[in-house]
Amino acid sequence: MTTSAPSNAKANATVIADPVSADAPVDREELEQIFDDISSHPRYDHELNGCLNCGICTATCPSAHYYDYSPREIVQLLWTENLEGIHDAMQEKIWACAQCYTCAARCPFGNSPGGLVMVMREVAIKHGMESAKEVLRPFSRVMLKVMSTGNQLAPNMITPDHFPDWGPNISKVEAPLNILRKAIPMPTLHTLETAWAVNLKTSIELYTIWEDSGVLDQLETMDENLFDVVVDIMDEKREDYEDWLEEQDDDDDDDDDD
Amino acid sequence: MTEPILIVGGGPAGLSAAQALSAVGRNSILVEKEDRLGGAPIISGYAKLVPSDEWAKDAIGGMVSRVAESDLVDVRSGARVTEFTGAPGAFTATLSNGESCQVSAAILATGFTHFDSINKPEWGFGTYPDVVTTVQVEQMISSGKGVYCPSDGRAPERVAILLCVGSRDRQIGREWCSKICCTVSANIAMEIREQLPECSVYIYYMDIRTFGLNEIKYYWRSQEEYRVKYIKSRVAEVTSDGNRLLIKGEDTLVKRPIAIPFDMVVHAIGMDPNVENDSIAKVFGVDLQAEGNIAHQSNYGGTGVTSRPGVFVAGAAIGPETIDDSIAQGQAVAMSAMALSPLAAAAAE
Amino acid sequence: MSNSGEKFTGHGEEWRDAKLSAQDAATATSWVELKIDKRAMLTNKDRVEDVRDAMWELEKDGEIIVHRVGDQHEPVMAKTLYGWDKKIPTNQLWHHKSCGQCGNIPGYPASLLWLMNQTGTRYLDETDQTSCTAWNYHGSGIGNIVSLAAVFLRNFHQAYVSAQAEGLDPGYYYPLVHCGTSFGNYKEIRHFLMHSAELREQVRKILAKLDRLIDGKLLIPEEIVHYSEWLHVMRQRIAAKQQIDASSLRVTIHPACHVYKMVPEDVIYDDDVLDGNRVAVSTGIMQEMGTQVIDYSTWYDCCGFGFRHIISEREFTRSFAIDRKIKVAVEEAHADVMVGHDTGCITTLDKNQWIGKAVGKDYALPVMADCQMAALLCGAHPYKIVQLHWHASPFEGLMEKLGIDWQTAKAEFEAYLEDVAEGKIETLYDPKRAITSGEGYQR
Repeated sequence: MTTSAPSNAKANATVIADPVSADAPVDREELEQIFDDISSHPRYDHELNGCLNCGICTATCPSAHYYDYSPREIVQLLWTENLEGIHDAMQEKIWACAQCYTCAARCPFGNSPGGLVMVMREVAIKHGMESAKEVLRPFSRVMLKVMSTGNQLAPNMITPDHFPDWGPNISKVEAPLNILRKAIPMPTLHTLETAWAVNLKTSIELYTIWEDSGVLDQLETMDENLFDVVVDIMDEKREDYEDWLEEQDDDDDDDDDD
Repeated sequence: MTEPILIVGGGPAGLSAAQALSAVGRNSILVEKEDRLGGAPIISGYAKLVPSDEWAKDAIGGMVSRVAESDLVDVRSGARVTEFTGAPGAFTATLSNGESCQVSAAILATGFTHFDSINKPEWGFGTYPDVVTTVQVEQMISSGKGVYCPSDGRAPERVAILLCVGSRDRQIGREWCSKICCTVSANIAMEIREQLPECSVYIYYMDIRTFGLNEIKYYWRSQEEYRVKYIKSRVAEVTSDGNRLLIKGEDTLVKRPIAIPFDMVVHAIGMDPNVENDSIAKVFGVDLQAEGNIAHQSNYGGTGVTSRPGVFVAGAAIGPETIDDSIAQGQAVAMSAMALSPLAAAAAE
Repeated sequence: MSNSGEKFTGHGEEWRDAKLSAQDAATATSWVELKIDKRAMLTNKDRVEDVRDAMWELEKDGEIIVHRVGDQHEPVMAKTLYGWDKKIPTNQLWHHKSCGQCGNIPGYPASLLWLMNQTGTRYLDETDQTSCTAWNYHGSGIGNIVSLAAVFLRNFHQAYVSAQAEGLDPGYYYPLVHCGTSFGNYKEIRHFLMHSAELREQVRKILAKLDRLIDGKLLIPEEIVHYSEWLHVMRQRIAAKQQIDASSLRVTIHPACHVYKMVPEDVIYDDDVLDGNRVAVSTGIMQEMGTQVIDYSTWYDCCGFGFRHIISEREFTRSFAIDRKIKVAVEEAHADVMVGHDTGCITTLDKNQWIGKAVGKDYALPVMADCQMAALLCGAHPYKIVQLHWHASPFEGLMEKLGIDWQTAKAEFEAYLEDVAEGKIETLYDPKRAITSGEGYQR
């Protein structure tokens, strides 16, 4: 892609810096690379068609009520290829979006500002932006769970320690968690470590998806420690599965002997 | 002898074509599906027209009586054309009342359909009685009753007019600008302020398209003389807290989301293609363009030329159009039809 | 805010007719000269794309196979936003569970399965499935369209072949998606898949490795169906089982963004529910069961879940949930309960009420899913089935209003917990069926 060069003297400068800011300047090349990654994303053309600047997206945006965030601004920055503005928005603003997609349901031009935010989040991760790492830190427990089990949430993760603002009692009937779980009339839910019992083969299949779709690479960029932990678990479970398969072969052999 | 020219539709464009043909001594047959002539301004009860400030019943009513009084115009109201066969100079039109007539050419002045706000339910029409359309406000004014909230008849203290309802909106498959609503809304806003001086009137817009001289007479004057407030914003939803209507928008120039209470919300509804265009196209064998209006060729070689030789189109049947321009087109297309028909008749012999 | 009732335009007992005279009413709509089907594109369907058309094309070209909703699934036709048809299967359903529901609000899926038992609906609840992983994607940005598409089609492939574990034909069960985010995400991804040959190729390669293709082709569902849609088309049949009168109940509905705003053209709008002006699910069944569904000014607002906000920016989540939803439902609509149809919303609106007390915002509004409310009204046990003890919002007053003796029910449940400790566990279906392959599988 090409971006139109600014007409002022900055055009030939290699770095762009705010004279009154102490922030490190960002390379023009880096800015262009970021925009390149955004605009070549498979979702991009589907989510951005133009802009009437009508503001219906911001009008209906929950985050705009509480943050310095406006989906219209995101669309405008991308549509006008404002590279500095895009980079700036990726530091904090894109993480304010609540991903409700009301903006997309309302936009008269058929844009999806929420979808564009997702593209920018993916690119922030691809570039290993510090801001993204910061923002994702509290997410690591959930990330570990979903990567290793295919379940986003587990009953034993919801404790008053982790959710003090949800009150002292996770259940209004007092009993050990494992008993309460077994008292759910669905056999698949008699679990503590995962939201439902997940077949071992299912997890193994999921690992292949993580590897072949580039998700593991994303994780490695963002959090190397977490990446190591996840890979260890993956290896372990794959071994378990191999063992089980071998056992089956043995059983089959036994059957043949009979 | 030359056969008369068929005009389909008795609104501004059709009346104008009939008037023009009559003025030069040509016969025409005017077919109108309603029981009376006048088109949208009369049937839907418009109040004062833009930009003449004349009442619709006087202005368009005048056209209707001139046409009705003309010996050269044969008016067939309460009828539709159900079949149209033949070639330029020698067409046969069959009407729904069983009659048939020989005509040399046809002018389609079949107009438009007002956008049905029910298609945009998040803006409250159909859910809250005090959400109305510009057409309803026109009717309140033209009936002499004045502007009131339908729920309880009270005079509103705060009115919001939402522009582009049914226009410029891909969500509902209507990307076009309806051309007239900005000017009409500014006019309605001034009417409301004149009738109810205590009432605040806000217009929510994306762009203001009071083109040409209308800029001065409507956009500027509504602000300077009538204190109408313009907010650059498309509202997200209209809801109610049980007492008043609430609209949720962003003031895009101030960049903050806002929720504001109103007594009455007016949808400035756009112009859809005539809902009957599919059948009209089939009967007359003409093409529709992508949005569903009657397709016409470029104007450089002649006005209102459709895909079928001898069949012409004028006014809002082509796309959103003002009354004045529809009238001008009706007259221009009368010339196209008239110029063609003797030639075609000669060729046919 | 006072509610004189004079101008209230909601749908509860204070509902007032607009009082237009017959003539005024006729004048107001006289310009609608022909019946225009609500939301129908006058200029035909081509102007807004129906992704199913693209699916049939790709199937004809031999690129994909469509998993059809067949007669065996006893489909009921519903109308969507633009008046198009959507086939909702009502029998032989494969439960695609929600991680948030199962982890956190287990009475949500349990009530649904219980209702299916009551209505004689055949289903499979098995362990060979993952989350859609879209919560993680929307929250963290980790994940991408390829991974989401592969996860989606892997799960739906398993739904297709699952019946083989019971000696039945593939396609016997049709997937029913419990989570609103999964529902929205799968529809969005299906759209991308139909429009990108490159994406299809990437996903095909991954699924080939997993042996999750049919004749070497991707298996795409004809309809992606949310459980609330099943509930909606079953509402008369469920209401026929109702045991508890709910006519005094003032219900506010919280519609879920990922259910009706994501891929909005695929959501049910029913002429008989709110005149087809708003999404029909949840409202439809609540009205069918005789409750008063009350409108409120922030009906369209989201809950504040935010995907990452619920985990790491809870001030936003709780402020939004309380100030823009719970408070409004209590003060404006005088609601007895808020009923929703998605995991994240129920969690957010329910769990955040406790902390509100600390800042003087004690609204105490019970929050639950539509299927939980329906099950309660059909006589389901509030603890054993509806599992209300996991809900943070106080539901005891609501039980009393419905004439349900919650103290006795609680005591019964506590006694049952002792049985559970001894291994005497009651389940909604034969636990053997939950495992369809691998360790523990029994034919």
